[in-house]
Amino acid sequence: MKFAIVLFAPAHSPAARRALRFAQAVLAGGHEIVRLFFYQDGVHSASANAVMGQDELDLASEWRAFVSEQQLDGVVCIAAALRRGVLNAEEAQRYQRPAANLAEGWVLSGLGQLHDAAQQADRLICFGGH
Amino acid sequence: MHDMSAKKSLLIISRQAPWAGPSAREALDIVLAGGAFDLPIGVLFLDDGVFQLLPAQHAGAVQQKDLSANLQALPLFGVESLYAAQCSLEERGLSAAPLSLTVECLEDAALSVLIDRYDQVITL
Amino acid sequence: MATLHMLSHSPFSDNRLSSCLRLVGAADGVLLTGDAVYALQPGTAHYQALALLADSIALFALEEDLQARALSAPARVGVVDYAGFVELSIRFDKVNSWL
Repeated sequence: MKFAIVLFAPAHSPAARRALRFAQAVLAGGHEIVRLFFYQDGVHSASANAVMGQDELDLASEWRAFVSEQQLDGVVCIAAALRRGVLNAEEAQRYQRPAANLAEGWVLSGLGQLHDAAQQADRLICFGGH
Repeated sequence: MHDMSAKKSLLIISRQAPWAGPSAREALDIVLAGGAFDLPIGVLFLDDGVFQLLPAQHAGAVQQKDLSANLQALPLFGVESLYAAQCSLEERGLSAAPLSLTVECLEDAALSVLIDRYDQVITL
Repeated sequence: MATLHMLSHSPFSDNRLSSCLRLVGAADGVLLTGDAVYALQPGTAHYQALALLADSIALFALEEDLQARALSAPARVGVVDYAGFVELSIRFDKVNSWL
């Protein structure tokens, strides 16, 4: 089965961790992830800038590693990201902001990518909420 | 987009008041994007989401985005399947209130039937 | 079409659970994750509400969240790990997460 997984929560939220564990279980179960889409505060889960204590879970790093190792399509909603201050180099330059903080492996794109993933997938699963 | 010959339908359940946070606006953004891509989208206003339907609100008073323009644009984007939960309206004293959008008001039993009709659902 | 409703907030802090139970369908399932497992706290109205749900509505809870909170699940609640969670998402036609 094909899954589209959408995350709406930041890295320190338990929902972000559940989403990752679920995504890992999807692949372990022999299924496919057509896309990961980060929306609302989920854009913070794609930040390269969070600094976690040594004994704390570094979920943003875990997500980044997961996307990279499994060669997944990781998309962050550009509109949601901009208004929350998560920018790639191009957007930081465009808007003259001091830093690009989007982690490696994530791409900024529009909600069309969410709909495209939903159309391709057999199951659309969302995690998050505050 | 890939082959669109069998488009999956998506129901967005909007549960937040207009300025509770970003959810009301960002739920509508999902709806409008889907409409722009000509996808079958429905919207159910549930719980505090029904507060989005009150006319004559003044977003400017709290320097927030006025969502009424986005709401009025829904039919223009081909999104005409609009619903509100009757119980949510009643709880909030709105069952007789004029609403800014034409929606079909649904009783509890009709809500699960509505959800069943859609291939996918996002509740935010 | 059967929907798996997924909850992750404490039922004592907001109305997601009660709204969910208003519109849950007879063939649907409800999966409690995160703080939503507090609905299984015995002696509470939420525990009662779940117990009173029609037998046809399947109830589940995520194992790690029960363990973390030292809660046990009554007999009718299926306890699942993440592999079981994935299976549930396939068994039901769609998943409705109450964000």
